[in-house]
Parts: sequence; C-alpha cells; structure tokens
Amino acid sequence: MTLQSIVQILASGLLMGLIYALIAVGLSLIFGLMDVVNFAHGEFLMLAMYASFGLVALTALDPIVLMPVIAAVLFTVGALAYVGVVRLAMRARANLGMVQIFATFGLAIVIRGVSQLLFTPDYRNVPNVWLGGRTIPVGGIYLPVPQLAGGLVSILAFLGLWLLITRTDFGKALEATREDAGAVALVGIDKNRVFTIGWGLGAALVGIAGAILSIFYYIHPDVGLPFALIAYVTVALGGFGSVFGALAAGLLVGLVEAMTATILPPSLKSIGIYGLYLLVVFVRPRGLFGSL
Amino acid sequence: MISRRSFVAGTALTAASLSTGARAQASEVSVGVLFPTSGSGAQVGIDAIQAINVALDVINNPHPDLELPLAKGSGLPGLGGAKLRIVTADHQSDPQKGRAEAERLITQDKVSALIGSYQSAVAATISQTSERFSVPYIASDNSSPSLTRRGLKYIFRASPHDEMFSATMFDFLDGLKKAGQKVDTIALFYEDTIFGTDSSNVQRKLAGERGYKVVADVKYRANTPSLTAEVQQLKAADADVLMPSSYTTDGILLIKTMSELGYKPKAILAQAAGFSEKALYDAVGKQIEGAITRGSFSLDLAAKRPTVGLVNAMFKAKSGKDMNDNTSREFMATIVLADAINRAKSTDGAKIRDALAMTDIPGEMTIMPWKRVKFDENGQNNDADAVLLQWLGEKFVTVYPTELAIAAPKFPMSKA
Repeated sequence: MTLQSIVQILASGLLMGLIYALIAVGLSLIFGLMDVVNFAHGEFLMLAMYASFGLVALTALDPIVLMPVIAAVLFTVGALAYVGVVRLAMRARANLGMVQIFATFGLAIVIRGVSQLLFTPDYRNVPNVWLGGRTIPVGGIYLPVPQLAGGLVSILAFLGLWLLITRTDFGKALEATREDAGAVALVGIDKNRVFTIGWGLGAALVGIAGAILSIFYYIHPDVGLPFALIAYVTVALGGFGSVFGALAAGLLVGLVEAMTATILPPSLKSIGIYGLYLLVVFVRPRGLFGSL
Repeated sequence: MISRRSFVAGTALTAASLSTGARAQASEVSVGVLFPTSGSGAQVGIDAIQAINVALDVINNPHPDLELPLAKGSGLPGLGGAKLRIVTADHQSDPQKGRAEAERLITQDKVSALIGSYQSAVAATISQTSERFSVPYIASDNSSPSLTRRGLKYIFRASPHDEMFSATMFDFLDGLKKAGQKVDTIALFYEDTIFGTDSSNVQRKLAGERGYKVVADVKYRANTPSLTAEVQQLKAADADVLMPSSYTTDGILLIKTMSELGYKPKAILAQAAGFSEKALYDAVGKQIEGAITRGSFSLDLAAKRPTVGLVNAMFKAKSGKDMNDNTSREFMATIVLADAINRAKSTDGAKIRDALAMTDIPGEMTIMPWKRVKFDENGQNNDADAVLLQWLGEKFVTVYPTELAIAAPKFPMSKA
C-alpha cells in the first residue's frame, strides 16, 4: 500500500464522515431535546433527496442553490411529524417509551410506502449538476468536488447550529426545555412550540445533508436505511444529544469505516464501526461527549 | 379456546382441501409469482410482473403471428382451454420472507407452481419450500449455479447459470487475447450474498484455469453507503478487465465512485444483474460507454426472429421499456411453465414436475438465443447460450458470440 492511497482513504473517510455527521446531528438534536429517538430519520433524508430531485426538475437550478428551499421543506416535514404524530404519541399513559418508538417507526414505514407509491421505486439521479462528477486531483489524491462542498456545508451547518444554540433566545429556550420541560412552562416558554421548532430544525439539518447527497448518490425510496443505521451509531457514539459529539463521532465513523475496508475484506467493513460502538457502549455508555 | 378435536378436524380439512379440492380440473390455473415489489429491488420486481403479464396474454389469448408454444390458441388446450392466472407476492429481497410467501401461496392460494425471484439468495429458500410441498419452482432469473446442484427435484431453470455465463465471458476474453489485445489481469468486484459470491467463485476458478491473473478480489457489503475504499483497491490494481457482480444500487455507486476517484477502467465485463438494468445506464451511462455485460437476451435477435420484436413491443406498451436480460427470462419462464402444465393436463404439482422434466422446446420457439429448452436431472437447461452486450451510443449492441454479433466489440472501452 502506497502513502498516496493511504492519504486518499483518509481524505475520503473524512469527507464522508462530515456528511455522516450532518445526517446524525438532527437526530441527536431531537433526542437531546425530548428523549425521543426518531426512527423515521432515514426517511427524512430520503424525502430531502426527492425534494432536491423534484425541485431541480422543476426549476433547473442546482441543488446547492436550492439547499435553503429543501431545508425549509424538510423543516415543515419535521414540524408536521411532531405535531401530527409524536405529540400525540407522547400523550400515551402507559409504556411511553415503546409508544414513541413504534410511532416514529410506523411513520418511517408509512413514508417509505407512500414514497414508493408516489415516486415509483425507479432509481433517480439529479442530472447535470455543477459539481456532479468533478474531482480535484492534488498530487495523485482525488478529491471529489461534491463531497468537498458537502464537507464545507456540513462544517458551516455545525457552526450555524452552534451559534443558534449559544447566542440566540431560541437557543436558550431550547437548552432550558431540554433541562426541564416542566419548569420552562412556568417562565412562559411554550414547550410545544419549542419541540415543534426542534423537530423542524432536526429535519432541516438532514434536509441539507439530503441536498448534498442527491448530487452524488442515487435516489430511491429505501435510500435512507443504510444512512440511518450509521446515524444511530454516530449519535450513540458521540453521546445522545451532543452536537459536538455528533460531529466528532461522524468523522470517526467515516475514518474507521474507510480504514476497516482497507485492512479487512470490504464486506466486513461495518465491523470497525460496530466494534467501536460496542467498545464505547461498554466503557463509556453515555457516549464520547454525552452528558446524559 | 379451540378444543383439540376441532383443531385436528380443522387440520384434516385443510389437508384434504390442499390435496384435492382446489387443484382439480379448473377453468383457471393459478401460478404463484414471487418478486421484490418493495425495497431496493422493487423496480425489477414490478418489471418482472409486467413481463409475466405479457406471457399470460400470449398464452390466454390467440396470437397467430407469434412463434411460441401456446401462442396461437387461447388458454391451455390440455386443460380444456383453462386460462393461466398469477397470484403475486412481495418477498422484499428477503430470503425469510421469500420462504414464508412461497408457503402462503402454496397453502392459501393453492397455486400449482411458483415463478421467481430475481435474487438467488431468495431462490434458495423458495426452492426448499417448493420441494417440501411438491410444487415446482421455476427459477426464471436466478443465476447462482449452486441452486440447481442441491439435489432438488422441483426446481427448474431454463436460462444459463453464472458458470455458463462466465465461461462465455472468458471465451470472449480468450478470443481478444488471440486477436492480439492485452488481456492478462482481471479484477473481481462482487457483493456479499449468494449471487456475488457464487459468481466470483466461478470467475476465480476460470481465471486460474485459463491463465489470467486476478489482481484484485474485492468482496463488498451490498447496499453500502460508500464504496470509496473498495474502488481505491480496484484503482490500485488497475486490471485489464474489471468484472463486477452487482445489483443496481451498488452498480450505480461503483461507477460514480470510480469517476470521483479518477479511475477509468480499461474494460468492464459485468455479470449482468444491475448492469442489465436501464436505470443504471440512465444514471451513469455516459461514464461507462463501452461497458460489456453478459445477458441471455438480445433485441438484435429481432432481425432474424420477428417474434422477438413483437413480444418486445407488447412489453414496451405495458411498461414503457424494452425487454432486457431479466424481463426476457421472466417471460420465457412463464411460457415454459405453461407448456408443461398443458402437457401435464393437470394442476397437480407432481404431474407438472414430471411434464417439466420432459420439456423439449426448440430454440426457434423462444425469444432467446438458446439452442433449446431441455432440463437435465437437476432441472438445469444446458442448451441455453449466453450473449455479451456492449453499451454503445445509449443502447445495447450484441458483440458476442460472433454468429449473433452485429458489431465488433470496442476494446478496451476507453479507447477513443
């Protein structure tokens, strides 16, 4: 193995890791806010990719330009999912945890089924994008432009999220609701409103990821599944609810996956991620940066 | 609570209805059709059912212009003109669901035979179930050689398996080598279910026997989110011929990742599956102009055999697509089965099985480039020949074998 291919693998792993992180952070945000694991997260990603596909077909603009629109669409999807499903599920009197799991799990199946009905199971691609298929060769290392842009967007999104949480009133309300949902009601914060926006925000983040992913990945009603699985591991690894944890864990997962696939036969590449995950669960159950 | 007596009675009743009732002479014969119609293989399954519906039309309605068994009349004359109908089931590409659905079709819907299933891994469980209930299973488009090597009596496959396909692929490479092309090294790239594993085993063996060096042997996880590290290995090896065995999703990702990492393979010689699907070429066709895939069907045959063009037109009217490697085999499997049911003059699984074993359909009565359809003791048709198709100018062109070829292969594919 040459130095060049090692650097290539590390670079590819890091770029993919940034996208994994962006997918995972929305999940982490929602979990941190209200202790609900959104099992429809992969389906949100899929919807974002179809939104990108549809909007590109409609407007002939580039997914990069359309990203804010896609994020807005997904914000609505997330907010509706909370108002229409999760809010009702949280009223359960018994077995609350199970009800929440099955509510979002059921939502996932419904979204997938309806998508197959509406969009057909044909594989789609966003055609003729500016960044699609371009690579920058740097001394024998190839850096695909879509992934580079994706990495950059991911870093910007994390920065924006961090500013939102630490510098705005809404961020404070979010933090307060996370600490004690009952007490915030006493100081006049509408818990439901914060939750709705929280779900919207979580979905909007995965919307950004979906817009990026639609440039270089095929689109299909089942496309969310493999990504969602990695997102759950990423969130658990980084620590439930931790935004910085999601970033660090996403990068780690990307690197470990790329390295495992190089050392072991690639069909066993998930072993690295899940091995690491098991280790963290045994040694540090709250995750690397979790405060749970 | 159900008493033991009523339970026993109920079971006996079910068993009785299973053995006689619904399977007696009927004006309709039901065939169970198992394909993935949801999940990542869904489009293949939906197309498969369309192809089978075309076959039903051919069998059930008079088509005097088609040179196919049972096409000219209507229904199955051996069963008093009974019509063939299908009951579809979705196995979601999952071997366990395939087994359960096969059992349901046999016990609840009382089907006389089964057709399926695209993925070889699913065919493995379906064929075991069909054996247990003595109902024939027609492996329409499963290509793993091992399926017809397990001593099962109720599995039949009219199309070639991957050993036959791979032999054709290596015959082709031998020919190129003789013609002075540099073809010394190959790279194997295959998914980790029974299809990819079986395919690569055969290819590895043939490469060894015929003196090709395998410079990369990459087994990858199916439906993975990223293939960067895998493609990096292919690129480092830079073989003369890249031989992928992949379904559509991984095929698309493979091509996209190759172009992102600046890797242009000298030639691609694919074990069909995803590389037979138009979806893949719609997505990345421009990047792999000149890719070659094996197939068991060639639209170019229509020039010699008008039936091929007519059947394709019927399929296109239903689905908006041309027939491909998969849909043609699914169509043919239905015709072969109907021919056997007609000769069996019965809807009983065991009798249909015996009739299938006696099948002898000449190649001219099919839409395939096969010599004939005749099953060996394992249910495999050894007279099915493969073709190689090259993706040139946005369509498939037959390039091998020479007697069917309409163009010389472009090799290596990246040649200007």
